[in-house]
Amino acid sequence: MLALVAGGILCFSQSLGEAIHGGTRLHIGIFGSVLFVLGAGAGLAAIVLLRRDCRFLIDAIHRMTSSGRLDTLRTTNPEIRPLILAVNEMVEAADQTVSEAVLRMKELEIELKVATAQRQHAEAIIYSISDAVLVTDTFDELVLSNEAAARTFQFDLERSRRLPINQIISDEKLVELIRDMRQSNSSTGRRIVEHRVKNQREDKIFKVTLSAVADNNNMPAGVVAVLHDMTREKEVAELKNDFVSSVSHELRTPLASIKAYIEMLIDGEYDDAKTQKEFYEVIQNEANRLSRLIDNILNISRIESGLVQINKQPQSLMVILKEAIEVIAPQAKLKQINLVEKLTPVFYQTLADKDMLYQAVLNLLSNAVKYTPEGGTITVQTLVDEAKRKVITRISDTGVGIPPKDLPFVFDKFYRAEANNHMAKGTGLGLSLVKHIVETVHRGRIFVESHVGKGSCFGFELDLCE
Amino acid sequence: MASKKILVADDESHILNVVSLKLRNAGFEVITASDGQEALELAQSERPDLLITDYHMPQLSGLELCQRLKQDPATAKIPTIMLTARGYQLDTQDTEQNGILRMLSKPFSPRHLLSTVNEVLAAAAAAA
Repeated sequence: MLALVAGGILCFSQSLGEAIHGGTRLHIGIFGSVLFVLGAGAGLAAIVLLRRDCRFLIDAIHRMTSSGRLDTLRTTNPEIRPLILAVNEMVEAADQTVSEAVLRMKELEIELKVATAQRQHAEAIIYSISDAVLVTDTFDELVLSNEAAARTFQFDLERSRRLPINQIISDEKLVELIRDMRQSNSSTGRRIVEHRVKNQREDKIFKVTLSAVADNNNMPAGVVAVLHDMTREKEVAELKNDFVSSVSHELRTPLASIKAYIEMLIDGEYDDAKTQKEFYEVIQNEANRLSRLIDNILNISRIESGLVQINKQPQSLMVILKEAIEVIAPQAKLKQINLVEKLTPVFYQTLADKDMLYQAVLNLLSNAVKYTPEGGTITVQTLVDEAKRKVITRISDTGVGIPPKDLPFVFDKFYRAEANNHMAKGTGLGLSLVKHIVETVHRGRIFVESHVGKGSCFGFELDLCE
Repeated sequence: MASKKILVADDESHILNVVSLKLRNAGFEVITASDGQEALELAQSERPDLLITDYHMPQLSGLELCQRLKQDPATAKIPTIMLTARGYQLDTQDTEQNGILRMLSKPFSPRHLLSTVNEVLAAAAAAA
């Protein structure tokens, strides 16, 4: 179209020149005018076409903008074709950049999701740990913590994040430990300390493990404090110590008699044969006492560890009771305690380990003697329930009785009612062993009834056998 | 010279018997108590020259007994030998402050106890 316009203008200027220099001016003048009009018309048409094509292109670009979808621009107009090709090339490049960006964004979204899930998982792990966990940053602010920590130091888990640690926990010593660890500027350090935490309810002893954590560049990033509650472990250790101490005391007492009387016999320090015999009897009784004590200790640990050999056979409980009463009678006599038997006939039998059941009965009888003042009465009674096929043994005394607050714990290992501590020495093992023998070994039921100042009744129920 | 009077306190009757016999055979006058409270009362009424007491006793422990005796000027100067079946030893502050001159651990030798008694009484006589 431009060529046409240019052609028109060229023709027009040529004819103008000829008109100036030529002879036949009029003809030439008409011809030139016609050419001019033709040229101008063609130019005008070309401009109109150009504008229309441009409008098409603008509309196409608008459509792309509003739809957000890039497309290739097209034209039939040769004048603007190179321009359109260049624009298309640019659009294509931009499109590719956008696609790559979208792809990268999607990747990042996935990475974020994975990271969030991993963080939540890590937090869930930390929350589920029964040890208290406190994680602080380089500003001593709490970054992460768990339920156990919130409970121990009584703070609100939700509101505590990003608060300075000394505003969250009032335990100055622990705050100092965390600060010291952070200030040590170490990126790998670890320290384990024992620390006592006091709160309104109770004192607790913790094993605190402080670890310095580093960031990717190996720079100190904060401190992780893990507090393991070892109160119970300490208590068990103390119980064990007490146990060893009281067992050694219990073992030394009969041993002291045995050794002293033997020395007296060797030194001939007795008046007559009767005294000499008494000495031998003391030695024998004390040796028996020693072996009973050792049996108790061994049996309890064997039953507890499940190593015990149980030998159950049909037995007459009444025979076992009679044997035990016979053994305890000298001790009862020493305290002028009256031993009363109210036993059912011997033909009722139970499936029992004779040695163990004998041990249990002896322990109950020995306790009754221990805690009954001089001149009291101990009654050993059996009751048979034919319908339920059960036999109940009751050993009741007129002793000091057990305070109600102690009653639920009397069968616990090492437990001794404080109120009656002065009455007798003991390991706190006897009743625990009885319970084991009755319930663990014989699947029976143990019970106790007691009234302070009036007496106690210990007993057990066993199944009768055919 | 009248024989010396010794108070023996122990809740184990066998120990009480054997110690009494050993001391009587050696010519001492012996009185016995089977718990801390009884020993305190006997010490106050009988004024023994020496006390031999167990540590672990009902009512009043051996140490509490010595503390009570120390509070009363009449009984404060009774020299004491303590017998104990506990593995631990009392600290020296407890023993020095309460007139406990010797500690013997159970099991003990009656022979050794007798020689300790003689030593303690000799030292007390020398100091008087």
